[in-house]
Amino acid sequence: MGVRIAIWLDERLAWRQVWEAIFLRKIPKVNWLYTLGSASLFVAINQIITGILLTIYYVPTPDHAYDSVQYITTQIPAGWLIRGLHHWGASAMVILVVLHMLRVIWHGAYKYPRELTWFSGVFLLLIVIGFGFTGYLLPWDQKAYWATTVGTRIAGSPPIIGDWILRVIRGGEELTAITLARFFGVHVWVLPTGLLLLILLHMYLVVRIGISAAPKREE
Amino acid sequence: MEQDNQINRRRFLGLAVWAIAALISAGMGVPAIAYIVGPALKRVQSSEWLRLGATSKVELGIPTLFKVKLQKQTGWIVNEEEVSVYLLTEDGRDFIAMSNICTHLGCRVRWIAEQEQFFCPCHNGVFDKEGRVISGPPPRPLDRYEVKVEDGQLFMLGG
Repeated sequence: MGVRIAIWLDERLAWRQVWEAIFLRKIPKVNWLYTLGSASLFVAINQIITGILLTIYYVPTPDHAYDSVQYITTQIPAGWLIRGLHHWGASAMVILVVLHMLRVIWHGAYKYPRELTWFSGVFLLLIVIGFGFTGYLLPWDQKAYWATTVGTRIAGSPPIIGDWILRVIRGGEELTAITLARFFGVHVWVLPTGLLLLILLHMYLVVRIGISAAPKREE
Repeated sequence: MEQDNQINRRRFLGLAVWAIAALISAGMGVPAIAYIVGPALKRVQSSEWLRLGATSKVELGIPTLFKVKLQKQTGWIVNEEEVSVYLLTEDGRDFIAMSNICTHLGCRVRWIAEQEQFFCPCHNGVFDKEGRVISGPPPRPLDRYEVKVEDGQLFMLGG
């Protein structure tokens, strides 16, 4: 039965071909450092799932943000786990993508014909940092508030345009409900859209071009 | 032929990957379901005696409306809510407390003195003095609260 359904679907979708192209493609001899990209993807999926779950209870307004986070952590079954996975996953994500980038630099894997893979990776790194910056404010506790006060002030330090940047990021002079709302919007709508599109491009290129072999000493 | 049934390294690793994937999915899926349905399954049973007022306020043989304020916690928000009950006594000693919520679809019923009936404006449900269904769609009599009398004061068990 299962086999017949698989054949029926394969006739129409050619999923076997897709599966082979993605998972059964030929790769050069590699080592554990080459798993950092997959690890990043794994943690990204974790962040997406736990992030969606958190929005079920989280409310991004100054009078409810902190209380709703406390409610998730202390009252909802497994809420501590979901929030914990998202919290620690965020740190893991930053560490993994940076290590992934270092490996690519180390092996010179950004060179022809993989420039686009590299560029999309650079933007992915910026998006991950953006996630970290916007997500940090959302619990709306003292640490979040002051970290964002400092962070936005740093963003406002360039001459001439600095003040304008600061006001745009904060949505005004001060850190207010507007700041929290726009950080939330950026964190759950803008950045995830960019992340998914760039991941698709990044992975298409990895499958299309293939990954580079570790450089040898004699070459 | 013999080799096909044997588990070689490749096949073993393939199976191991699927097994780990299943474990992670379950480890994520079960807490996720608990997390989503958690508050829905929580039954709030507040067994608090709320003071309604003096027994003398209830007219004999006529359902009298009482309103009590109570603190209700929904999620992380505490709200003050008003609960309305109709109290009825025939002898001034035994009291019944009826909810004013129609058992059909939750609209509020009203006591119509001229007709001696409770009337629900939403779908014309009609109840008698003691909350029994006379006509209309309501499936059961009006819900009742437990009441007690202490020192001439009426209390109801509610929340």
